[in-house]
Order: sequence, then structure tokens, then C-alpha cells
Amino acid sequence: MNGRRLLVALTVAASAGSLSACSQPRVRTPERPHDTTVALLPDPDDGVVGRAVVSNASGAADLAEARAATRVQESRAPGAVKPLSEAEAQSLFGDLLATLPPRSHHFTLFFEFQSDELTAESRALVPAVLRAVMDFPFPEVVVIGHTDTTGTGASNIDLGLKRATMVRKLLVDAGLKPSLVEVTSHGEADLLVPTADDTFEPRNRRVEISVR
Amino acid sequence: MFPPRSFVAGALVLVLVVTPTVASAAAPAAAGRIKIVSGSVSVVRANAVLPAKAGQVLFEADTLRTGADGRVGVTLNDDTRVSLGPGSEARLDQFLYAPAEGRLALVLNIVHGLVAYVSGRIAKLSPDAVKLETPNAIVGVRGTTLALRVDE
Repeated sequence: MNGRRLLVALTVAASAGSLSACSQPRVRTPERPHDTTVALLPDPDDGVVGRAVVSNASGAADLAEARAATRVQESRAPGAVKPLSEAEAQSLFGDLLATLPPRSHHFTLFFEFQSDELTAESRALVPAVLRAVMDFPFPEVVVIGHTDTTGTGASNIDLGLKRATMVRKLLVDAGLKPSLVEVTSHGEADLLVPTADDTFEPRNRRVEISVR
Repeated sequence: MFPPRSFVAGALVLVLVVTPTVASAAAPAAAGRIKIVSGSVSVVRANAVLPAKAGQVLFEADTLRTGADGRVGVTLNDDTRVSLGPGSEARLDQFLYAPAEGRLALVLNIVHGLVAYVSGRIAKLSPDAVKLETPNAIVGVRGTTLALRVDE
């Protein structure tokens, strides 16, 4: 080891030592008390109520109805599930929900039967896509190619990408700023209509445009 | 004693070809984007505290932190939406959105404060891949909208 390397090694060792010295007090700090409240809320756009399970080592609580809420104190099991009133949910979480970005706009474009041409209805969606872009702060447009399950998984990723790239060109030719558009392919992994493998299904041969 | 010219040229080509591949493998993929910021909000990335700006790209392992007057709204790449209220902190522990390869994961760690979550495609394609963690609870999500408050 030459002198310079030795110096580097010593510096690294010293900084490793000081790092562990820094992190030590954190380990010794007694755990601070914690209190978690979880509420299941109706979807802000369509009102749909989903489902969630709140758990820890001591137990679990199932949230399954609008504004159902549970409180977890320290390491105790989640408390009994009680629905919040609309007024309570609004006062606790109203401002928070108002800070959510707008929900993505989705457009689905389909192809003519056994063809690489988009249907006329699908091509006619292009102006609506361009208008949707204006609804978003710092917009992004993601064009996702999908296929049905005929052919291999790998060839379908390529095919999906080919379809998405074609739609991207359509959007850019219509005036969309190229830097806003990204293309990707989900191949046959994200079917609109679930089918077995090697199944021809025109509704799965599609390109999805997500504007967000 | 100089190496033959072709060797030098070959080595140079190798460097040119290999470097971009290595760089893209090391660069983390974007996980989402900040869409709405008001008041004081910062992004903590690898021990650096950056002021948050609307339009800013977020990566896996980034932490969002809001001040007493801060609020922030984020859209992740799978259309998941998240907002933080004042005096809050949350870290994107895991974000993997590669449906074609069947790799999906979203783990949001809520350190303290107020957080709203509206599920996106990851929750739809693989509900078990989504977890919202707080210091004393884990929330498994079957969709769609949740609000959490974590006090210390």
C-alpha cells in the first residue's frame, strides 16, 4: 500500500467511525408514542368506496364502508371501527383531499379487425386528448400499448410498443409537444378482457392514453 | 512501449459503448411528479434537502416534508395520487411499476402528519403490492381512497 492509498483508507475508516458515532444516540432515544387514525373515504371523483385492512402485531381492523375509521394507539391493536360523520371527515381531511392533483384522464384506442389501422372512432379522440392536457398542472401524457394473448409475451411487448409509438406520432402530428409524451408497453400483461393464453380478442388489442 | 493504436481505439469504443448502459442502470427510474405545492415543502433525497417545486420529478426513496403552512400533491406513474397536509412527512420506500415484467410494488411510509392516498394501477393489478405504513400500523389497500393521520 503506498502512502496515498493508506491515507484514503484511513480517511474512509475515520468517516465510517464518525458515522456510526452519529447514529448511536438515535438508537438510544426511547421510542416516541404514536397514534394513527385511518379512514376509508368515498372516492373524491366517483364516490366509490373501496376497502382496507389496518393491522399491526396486536391485531387488525377491516374498513369496508364509507368513512369507516379506526385508531391505533401505541402498539395496541387497532380500535373498534366507527364511521366518521360527513362533517367530521370534512373537518379532518377536507383540505387534504383538496390538495390531491386532478384524477388522470384515460382514453382507449382500438384497431380495425386484423389490421394495424386505428378505428375511425379512435382516431377521432385525438382532439379530446389534446384538450385534456390543458386541464393539468405540469401535464404528462403516457401512451401504453396493449396486445391480446396470441403470440409470445416478449413479442407482444414489442408489438405494444410499436402500437404506442404509432399513436404518439399521431398526437405529436396533431400538435402535442413531443417532450410531454412518453411511450411504454404492457404487452399482454394488462388485459381489458381477461382471456386464456393464445386467445384472439380485439378488445385487448388497444392503446391507452393516460393524461395526468 | 505504447500500446498499439488499435488497442487504444478499441478500449475507447468499449468505454463509449459501456458507459451509457452503466449510467442508465444506475440512474433510478422516475416514480412520479409533484403537481401541487403551497407553503413550505421540501424533498429529502440522499440526505440533501431540496425545496419542492411543482413539476419536479420524484424517485423511489424520496421523502416529502411539509412545514406548518405546507401542502403538496403528487401523481405517481401508475396514476396513484397522494397529498400531504401541513407538518407532515412521508417517504416513498418502494415504487415499482413494470406490469409487462410483473413487477409491481408501492410502499409509502407515513412518518407523521396528514396523508391522503387514492389508489392507481398498482392497486388494481396487484392489491397485495400496496402498503401504507405508519410507525405503529400497516394499511393494506383494496382501493380506493384513504386518509391517515399520524401523531407523535
